[in-house]
Amino acid sequence: MVMYPTRYHRPNSLEEALKLRADHEEASYLSGGHTLIPALKQRLARPSDLIDLAALPGLRGVKLENNVLSIGATTTHAEVAASPIVRKAIPALAGMVGTIGDRHVRNRGTMGGSVANNDPAADYPAAVLGLGATVITDRRRIAADDFFVALYETALEPGEIIIRIDFPVPSQAGYAKFRSAASRYAVAAVFVAKFGASARAAVTGAGSSGVFRLHDLEQALAEDFSPAAVAQCKVDPGDMLEDLVGTSEYRANLVLVMARRALEHLGEACSYK
Amino acid sequence: MLAERVFKAVGKPVPRNEDQRLITGKGRFSDDFSLPGQVFAAMVRSPHPHARIISIDKTPALQMPGVLGVYTGEDCVKDGLKPIPHSPVPSTKYDMKLRGPGNTEVFAGSHMPLPTDRARHVGEALAMVVAETLEQAQSGAEQVAIEYEVLPWVADSEEASKPGAPRLWDELPDNILVDTFFGDAEATEKVFASAPHTVTMKSHVVRVTGVPLEPRAALAHFDPATQRYTIYAGSGGAVRQKQELAAVFGIEPKNVRVLSFDVGGNFGTRNRSFVEFALAMWASHKLGRPVKFRAERSEAFLTDYQGRDLVTEVSLAIDKDGRFLAMRASNLSNVGSRCVSLSPLSKGSGLITGSYNIPAATLHARAVYTNTMSTQAYRSSGRPEVTFAIERLIDKAARQLGFDRFELRRRNLVRPEQMPYTNAVGSIYDSGEYEKNMDRALALGDWTGFPARRAEAKSRGKLLGFGFANYVESSIGSPKERADLIVRKDGIEVVIGTQPAGQGHETSFAQVTADLLGVPFEQVKITLGDTDIVSAGGGTHSGRSMRHASAVIALGSVDLIDKGKALMAHLENVPLEKVEFEDGFFRVTTSNRALSWFELAPLAEQDGLPVEFKDGLRVRRDNEMHTPVYPNGACLCEIEVDPETGAVDIKRYTSVDDVGRCINPLIVHGQTHGAIAQGVGQALWEECAIDPASGQPLMGSFMDYGMPRFDNMPSFKSEIVEVLSPTNPFGIKAGGEGGTTGALAVITSAIDDALADYGHPQIEMPVTPLKIWNAIQDYKKHHKAA
Amino acid sequence: MQHVTLTVNGTKVSCDVPDETLLVTFLREHLNLTGTHVGCDTTQCGCCVVHLNGKSVKSCTVLAAQAQDGEVTTIEGLAEKDGTLHPMQEAFHRLHALQCGYCTPGMIMAAVNLVDTYPEPLTEEIVREQMEGNLCRCTGYHNIVKAILAVAAAKHGVTDKAPAPAGAE
Repeated sequence: MVMYPTRYHRPNSLEEALKLRADHEEASYLSGGHTLIPALKQRLARPSDLIDLAALPGLRGVKLENNVLSIGATTTHAEVAASPIVRKAIPALAGMVGTIGDRHVRNRGTMGGSVANNDPAADYPAAVLGLGATVITDRRRIAADDFFVALYETALEPGEIIIRIDFPVPSQAGYAKFRSAASRYAVAAVFVAKFGASARAAVTGAGSSGVFRLHDLEQALAEDFSPAAVAQCKVDPGDMLEDLVGTSEYRANLVLVMARRALEHLGEACSYK
Repeated sequence: MLAERVFKAVGKPVPRNEDQRLITGKGRFSDDFSLPGQVFAAMVRSPHPHARIISIDKTPALQMPGVLGVYTGEDCVKDGLKPIPHSPVPSTKYDMKLRGPGNTEVFAGSHMPLPTDRARHVGEALAMVVAETLEQAQSGAEQVAIEYEVLPWVADSEEASKPGAPRLWDELPDNILVDTFFGDAEATEKVFASAPHTVTMKSHVVRVTGVPLEPRAALAHFDPATQRYTIYAGSGGAVRQKQELAAVFGIEPKNVRVLSFDVGGNFGTRNRSFVEFALAMWASHKLGRPVKFRAERSEAFLTDYQGRDLVTEVSLAIDKDGRFLAMRASNLSNVGSRCVSLSPLSKGSGLITGSYNIPAATLHARAVYTNTMSTQAYRSSGRPEVTFAIERLIDKAARQLGFDRFELRRRNLVRPEQMPYTNAVGSIYDSGEYEKNMDRALALGDWTGFPARRAEAKSRGKLLGFGFANYVESSIGSPKERADLIVRKDGIEVVIGTQPAGQGHETSFAQVTADLLGVPFEQVKITLGDTDIVSAGGGTHSGRSMRHASAVIALGSVDLIDKGKALMAHLENVPLEKVEFEDGFFRVTTSNRALSWFELAPLAEQDGLPVEFKDGLRVRRDNEMHTPVYPNGACLCEIEVDPETGAVDIKRYTSVDDVGRCINPLIVHGQTHGAIAQGVGQALWEECAIDPASGQPLMGSFMDYGMPRFDNMPSFKSEIVEVLSPTNPFGIKAGGEGGTTGALAVITSAIDDALADYGHPQIEMPVTPLKIWNAIQDYKKHHKAA
Repeated sequence: MQHVTLTVNGTKVSCDVPDETLLVTFLREHLNLTGTHVGCDTTQCGCCVVHLNGKSVKSCTVLAAQAQDGEVTTIEGLAEKDGTLHPMQEAFHRLHALQCGYCTPGMIMAAVNLVDTYPEPLTEEIVREQMEGNLCRCTGYHNIVKAILAVAAAKHGVTDKAPAPAGAE
């Protein structure tokens, strides 16, 4: 509950934030803090400095242009879930964000913080990968397929800041999640999306190396974007996480069940426990 | 028994007196107190389940900023500290008498505040660091270097009971500290030998922890001028804490003042002294500064006294008509690394036959030490385990032998005309209408509508199950209680030694007092929790408080009324028999003179009164009450299982609870709801699991310890039944634990029923989605061919 | 050190605190507002919920410095200045929605924010879903749900029936 001593900064510009980060090798960026602060309270990390990104201009808010939904990195989950723009453009995404944590957590937690952390059981990575989004940082654009590297590891370089994420608007999408009774994180969750004649499907919570795409299912969905497509798909338990909440076989099963339910309830997010 | 006509407040759903402060943020929980100059303690805890302490190097920690002291077990010994005297063996006249192997005294391993020899469980405090700030104390604790010799360990009770298992105590030849037989083994075996049917079940009712939402905390201060310790520390009984903490320092209890005001949940976990309380006191003496300790939630998961952990094996002999002939049980309790309480094993032992008339029974009760945190009486100590055993065994028997599960129960329930009923292990059930409870519950829960609901669920691909359980439990508890009744010009104060943690004593005790003394409820104030005011009392556990408090207040009220009459007679100069008391007024029958309590009280303060009035209008009354009562009831629930994921959804939960006289139905229903939730939690999610490979506890936070939450609990239908107990003035039984007692059985019964198509697999608690899904896959695998 | 300035329960306060000070620590230890509690260290129990700029937040997971210049309402600031209880406090009392009282401040602050901000009419199901971030170990949630629904109904002009005996439904 008691953090190691640290120094807090609230820069007012991107340049200032990057400079602070460059000056302090052991610094961490802080956004909503709902992943970082719990870790600090448990003394699992010891950043010399915390650089709060909350005051940076242009990182917060939602915009729809040319069928691309842009969400600023420091937009809170509550803002995304309630946004009429998101709810209209990608209702499954708004619904998914509305199932993250609890309402107090959603009032503070931000998209950028969640995506940059790449917790293998977090929701956002499934949407980012499942929608084939693009992560825009202070220095480049990173395709979702290149962004998530391994458990808690992304393509972000030291000091790199996510500015926003651009989500292409699909014709249809759905999300279904099975939650842990204790942590409330996903044991297995699947985001499916249809773009014209192609489809994407991404899984979080279940994979032993974090969020991943279900290529089998994507191919089947390209033919027939319906729950029936799941029947042709297999998930290798060898690729699944195993812990007290779920064996790899159980998770492999949940992936398929959640995929089917996401397809049965397009345009929303379903949460099971 | 008291006449109903006097009741104006008793029996009414009066909203609570304690709420005002708690809903406005003005509660007084332990960590809310601060003292000038206070410093903070942090513990260095064992990372090993079992290890010899080779050496402890304090130096690096002492060099850390702000660190004021580092203390070890050796320092405790040097300063003459003594073990916490837990007195684990229940001792009222009616408690089941547990003995060591070969009818010896039970060996209770010494519980020093810090050990000198070995760490016996993960999380055991081995050293304490005190520093100016909490951060400095924690950083200091990280620097204490302990050299260990890692020893073989054992966490599982069955493993620990085997020959050759790693031993925890040199004083014992093995780990078995209790080995006792109850009932008539010979008669029982004879019945089993010739019985037409025998049904057997074995189960491990796993380890859980109480999770009061307020982590334990203490603020201690030693005053060199008076040589007294003051400690703010919430618990289940300030008086007991005072005595035990005084014993650690070998001082008179009067030199310890314990303040325990608002307590953020207890459920049994706080009824024994925690080592950190004594350590904070010790450090405050050594440093001359107030010392605060507050547990993190992760520390609470590791080192709050835990609950349950019983391996039970039960068999029932049944005749061809479905009559229960005999029962055989073997219960093995895991007490952890030190024995702080044998209440769970003892309480359960007296109730193995449940609500049923079983003529012969025998029980082999054992307890073992293991390299785990100590277990304590946890809500409804011992009774949910044995209720689970008999009720699930009856479900199994009904299924195997082709009886209707309700009819089989009905045929064997103890009948009202058998009351008081002595069961086969000697417990005397005081009163109750068990079959009526069952009928009422089935009607309230709409059993007849269940088939339609099940069919509807099936149409959605879901499996709906109906669970049922009867229960009887016992409320005994510490036998002594004291009340001071003090009349002042503006109200009556009752000082009493129970210790609520949310049970509403300030309200229900005031209701009782108001009616006994004929005054408005609003004019009674209950004082609790400061041992400089509360001189004696048994604390709150085992559903004892309402019963013990009302009994001693009833006796004290008689004394107080007698004193009032005598004072009135003296003041009015009339013979005593000319003074009557009614509805709060003392009347002289020969004149129109009448005085209320509040008019009389100031007159008792005047000079020149006879010596018997020198303390004013107040009395102190002690009472000792050993006879237990047996709350009982029936519960049912409906659970929907999703066969694709193993997820469960509790659709309905109904309970009928005979609590004896209900003083405040608002409070008693609330107790029932909370008690149910705690039982449901254990049945479905809660477990303090230990990694079998490393001995490490696997649940250290709410991230991995599943809890009842808003969105996984149903609303409840609960009904209170009042079959008055003949054992105490108000006819009270108890209302705080019945909800938990039946919950383990009823939840597992419903899931079992839901999985009828999958062969009724026996799934050990907690019955998680993973286990349900696995059981379904197992069934499918084995029945593919067929 | 950080010079933190907040408006807490309508009063402007300033304190120099270590940078890593949590909002809950600031409230409890620097302002002595001990009504806000801490029940866990993993942002789950909700005992520490307060309102920050009109939103319910877990004050154990917000740095005091992050809340700079913000408006904070705690349980101590919920009732009227003259002591008149907030309808949620009143409902918790009347319907026995608290036992030990430790989770209660966070629970009430969460419930008030839910009723004030939820865009649709509240049902039992919605209340149970939306309140999942607050743990209670005593009540089994039954009476808390009733209290929240009673306040929500009163707010929307639905006559609040005389309270049914607890547990009767």
